[in-house]
Amino acid sequence: MSMEAEESRISGKRVWIMLRFLFTIWKVNLASSLEYRISFLLMAGMMFINNLMWLFFWSLFFHRFPVINGWELNDIMMLWAVSAGGFGWANMLFGNFHRIPSLAATGQLDVYLTQPKPVLLHLLASRMSLTAIGDFAFGLAIYGWAGDHTIQGALLFTLGLVISGCIFMFLMIAAGSLAFFFGNAEGIVQQVFNSFVSLSTYPADIFRGAARVFLFTIVPAGYISYLPIGLLRDQNPGFIAGAAAVTIGMGVFSTIVFHVGLRRYASGNAIVMRG
Amino acid sequence: MIALRTASLCKSFRVKRKMPGLSGSIRSLFRPEWEERTAVSDINLTVHAGETVAFLGPNGAGKSTTIKMLTGILHPTSGNAEVLGFTPWRDRTKLAYRIGTVFGQKSQLWYHLPPMDTFDLISRIYELKQSDYKARRKDLIERFELEPYLHTPVRKLSLGERMRCEIAASFLHRPQLLFLDEPTIGLDVLVKQRIRELIRELNRKEGTTVFLTSHDAGDVEELCTRAVVIHHGGILLDAKVEQLKRDILNRKTITLTLKPDSPSAIQARIAGTEIVSNEGRRMKLSVDLSQTDIDLVLSALVGKFRLEDVTVEDPPLEEIIKHIYGMRTGGAGPESGLEASRQAGAGAGGRRL
Repeated sequence: MSMEAEESRISGKRVWIMLRFLFTIWKVNLASSLEYRISFLLMAGMMFINNLMWLFFWSLFFHRFPVINGWELNDIMMLWAVSAGGFGWANMLFGNFHRIPSLAATGQLDVYLTQPKPVLLHLLASRMSLTAIGDFAFGLAIYGWAGDHTIQGALLFTLGLVISGCIFMFLMIAAGSLAFFFGNAEGIVQQVFNSFVSLSTYPADIFRGAARVFLFTIVPAGYISYLPIGLLRDQNPGFIAGAAAVTIGMGVFSTIVFHVGLRRYASGNAIVMRG
Repeated sequence: MIALRTASLCKSFRVKRKMPGLSGSIRSLFRPEWEERTAVSDINLTVHAGETVAFLGPNGAGKSTTIKMLTGILHPTSGNAEVLGFTPWRDRTKLAYRIGTVFGQKSQLWYHLPPMDTFDLISRIYELKQSDYKARRKDLIERFELEPYLHTPVRKLSLGERMRCEIAASFLHRPQLLFLDEPTIGLDVLVKQRIRELIRELNRKEGTTVFLTSHDAGDVEELCTRAVVIHHGGILLDAKVEQLKRDILNRKTITLTLKPDSPSAIQARIAGTEIVSNEGRRMKLSVDLSQTDIDLVLSALVGKFRLEDVTVEDPPLEEIIKHIYGMRTGGAGPESGLEASRQAGAGAGGRRL
């Protein structure tokens, strides 16, 4: 067997080992969530209804003003589908992405650092949010209701979901990693998180001037409506490649910030349980 | 073979200094003051494979910080360490396959799930072959007597049951070196005893090197062959436990509650003991084990008094460290010489019976 083939076999094996680890940790997460079945159903169901109420208000708005800067009710519905669905899968499978400051402050990274798996991946995958299941189900339901049901439409919607979830995750990882540099950053990161979640459900095109700059810099929620929704509306291969490149760039950036910050991790003596 | 070696290992933290009260908080908001606090200072240590080493010290001495550097959790401020041939903070992943960690205050078990689910997850984390994992799990379940708890969520286990599961979990991947940080904290005497036996057995049968921090002199006596005492971040003493027992851990404290019709303490004398306190029917004695044996003292007590209750305890670690500190400073100061030795055994005060 040639050297290249051997290396590719080894890296293929590594990927398989990593996937098996992820499947097991997700299975454990789900089992842990299902320990409280009523709570699980209520939380997921309430989030679904909560999102639906927001869409109801948007429908009232668009009934009065049918087009705003080129956006119609259907676009808003798809924005909500992509935004809630992306947030949902990211929070289901990697539910610790917005909890890095509290994990770092209470010394909860110790357990990940003593086990032989990539710290960031391990800590992200170690929590499953129950409400996120409602968000994800809502995203799929809205796509089923108002989306493009062709194969191309489904693929673009899936790509939109992947990109929006990744943007949520990568930005919160970068913001959360500030805790390593500035100490207690839980409050500010929570604020960024809340602003990001609410602003990601508004079309970026309705904002102008400083507000628009704000949406693409300080709280870059504008990318959620710009990139995934741009995909669905433009269906242009160049745009798809650009959106993927920006998302990968954000991933690389946030991973670097996290690992540089991790060198400054000071642990702690709080009593900690997992799950 | 060397299991771990450190050279001038130091760790300091930058800590914010704040004056008390609201005005202090406001001042600290605009003009924060920082100070460098040394947690570990110049630790030089070599541990050979198969050794059982107790790393002792009072709260804040730097025990946990040292363990965290040796397991790759923390980066040191300066100095070097090599654990099983790896630099922990650089080769964290490679090292993690070969070491096990048990932190008394940090659980690796999933709180809402039975231990069995965590064991399965650990088998994937350490990439264990499933047939090997199942055989190992079966063996550990038998040795640690875990069968009754395996399918009970961790949140419903007692602290002792959970700790046994924690230690079994850390042994699943057959670590060459096990770090235990306060493994017996908060446990009752019987559970402590059982956990010590289990660790000792695994050390003996599998040759696992054990590096343990503790606050409990009992852990040292019953589990370890060597003790390293640190204080204020630096090594104060590095000695064989046998020597430590002979020179320092040579006292026990006996607390008696006498029956109402029992003769009082003044009427009796037992060689090698001192009364530390005598309040009503409750009496505390310090026993010098270099002069007598604990079983002789207990039989003498049973012969002389009518007892309602009796307990035998080790001196608290803080007192032992005060004693070592007294010895190191050449007997100067309030904890000097015999006085310090007596305090190490039983605290302040006392008179010979």
